[in-house]
Amino acid sequence: MYEALSALGSVVLDPYLLFLIFATTIIGIVIGVLPGLGATTGAALLLPFTLTMDPVHAIAVLATIYVSATFAGSITAILINTPGTSAAAATTFDGFPLAQRGEAGRALGIAVIASTFGGIVSVIVLCFAAPLLARVAYEFRPPEYFALTIFGLSMLASISSGGAVKNLIGGVFGVWLSTIGAERVTAIERFMFGNYELYEGLSFVPVMIGLFAMSELLVQSKMANQAVEYIKMKAVQLPSREDYKKIWKTVLRSSGIGTFIGILPAEGATVASMIGYSEAKRWSKNKEEFGKGSIEGIAGAESANNAATGGAMVPTMVLGIPGSGTTAIILVGLMVHGLRPGPYLFNEQVTAVYQIFGSMFVANVMFLLMGLYAAKIFARISLVPAAILWPIVFALSVIGAYALNSSMLDIWIVLIFGVIGFLARRFGFAVAPIAVGLILGKMVEVNLQNSLKIFNGEWWQIFTQPLAVLFLVLAFLGLCGPQLFRLATRGSFEAKDGKSD
Amino acid sequence: MIKQQIVPIVLTIVSVVIIYLALQLDLSPPMIVGDSMQPRAFPIFLMALNLLLTAILAYQIFKTPPKKPEPMNRVTWLSMVLMVLFYGLTVSTDMFIAIAVVMFLLSLAWGERRLLIAAANAVLTPFLIFLLFDNVLRIRFPRGILMNWYYG
Repeated sequence: MYEALSALGSVVLDPYLLFLIFATTIIGIVIGVLPGLGATTGAALLLPFTLTMDPVHAIAVLATIYVSATFAGSITAILINTPGTSAAAATTFDGFPLAQRGEAGRALGIAVIASTFGGIVSVIVLCFAAPLLARVAYEFRPPEYFALTIFGLSMLASISSGGAVKNLIGGVFGVWLSTIGAERVTAIERFMFGNYELYEGLSFVPVMIGLFAMSELLVQSKMANQAVEYIKMKAVQLPSREDYKKIWKTVLRSSGIGTFIGILPAEGATVASMIGYSEAKRWSKNKEEFGKGSIEGIAGAESANNAATGGAMVPTMVLGIPGSGTTAIILVGLMVHGLRPGPYLFNEQVTAVYQIFGSMFVANVMFLLMGLYAAKIFARISLVPAAILWPIVFALSVIGAYALNSSMLDIWIVLIFGVIGFLARRFGFAVAPIAVGLILGKMVEVNLQNSLKIFNGEWWQIFTQPLAVLFLVLAFLGLCGPQLFRLATRGSFEAKDGKSD
Repeated sequence: MIKQQIVPIVLTIVSVVIIYLALQLDLSPPMIVGDSMQPRAFPIFLMALNLLLTAILAYQIFKTPPKKPEPMNRVTWLSMVLMVLFYGLTVSTDMFIAIAVVMFLLSLAWGERRLLIAAANAVLTPFLIFLLFDNVLRIRFPRGILMNWYYG
């Protein structure tokens, strides 16, 4: 705890880092309010700009984008009924109706306070949970890591829209992409087609930029001339004492839910906000208000989605398993800057880790201030014409992709994966599983190879390791649990029907 | 029926092609591989898994046919064509010329009618990004008409 506090102190006393967090919070909010440009796209676009930064500063920038853009999605969700990020989709259910009633300022005030509280709670949990989990993970050997990555991949089934099967296909495709290049042990070239720039494998950054930014450009192109209904407001209103009385339990509950869901590998802010919202409704005494402008609904969704940001950093930093699309990019950022994600990070770079956590804490405070005093200005930015905004995204994508390795191939990878991502989304596949699969792919193969070596080629020996079995059982339950539950309940319903007959 | 199953068909073809390519990979001597697996084994396993998942997807589509996706609109097609144009211009002229031209045409394709605004955006944005990357990040950009002139 002392380390956490001293790291927080070092963040506050580092004027350059504070300036970076301040500037990135503004950029993050701008990205969050622009429909289509979420935290993931924003982080992918900004990653190349962090290349010359100190590792802590670079990851602090990405983490700040994550928390501020996740919050900012609520501004457009409330004012124009268009969630700036998918995590703010649940905020539209009550935020926009409340704004239509002339209480946009109040709705935004609730969203800002709930988001900040959720974000800060999750950072505190992160400071406690991450080192504990790291201590456990420190004992993991290749079989446990192999089983853990399988568990992480199995969680892809529910990572985002698209059905479970489609998400898994995306994940497997992503893992296959990680096999491109020279094989680690034998140096045999796989799927390189004579291109030696692929010798060390596909570079993560251009694939991410292609999948998230370029494909989003093509998706947005069909909404190029859409008009939006914009609700004007005077100023953001802080919640009244009555409002606080009404929402404090919801905020606490949703912060807990969001943090927990964030910690689960491959679950992110979108799932958290939906569950936060539905739980707020379930426990509310005023259920009839939901969908018509309930402040509990706004608070439930907003505290949960921002709480998920801190939670999602736990598996990312401790296990090297990203908790969402954005944390997948943060994970890439860690690798690009030479920080080895995993439990060793807490031994080798403990100060850096706590400085990153401290930066997230400061970012939450910064967006509170900006949300309260400048939300009105940020809301106007959402009205930037798509015909101006998306060409800028195009330029940032191609130049940013080139900057990482000074390679033209990376630009073509952005374009190719932009089209692949667009086609995938068109046919109902989410792109996040492809990205996560690509990142976890190497881990799966390397740990499987090492496990086989440990067990002299007898793969079934993996099942003799208790922790590995636990992760594999969890993976099985994650994949087949819902179907088994449905089958079991169908059986009981049929039995009941039979009795009534 | 075939139209509905287009996604599983494409996925099956891709998986089979990858398995075929994997089978063409060299075998490593047992002395190097040891108790581990051949480099071709993992991709083949992945694609076998993909075929299984694709079969489940085909069954799901058969049981509950999905909604037909809306035809792609003109702007989306144009945006894709502009990406190809970007490739051609980058290879034949200069990356920054390509970016400026594509940004300008993209703005027009997306409905921007103020030519001056579109042109200013197309010129100023890449210029500012270039300044940032060249001066702050010290990135050297690929040579072309403009870069040859700039770098000398």
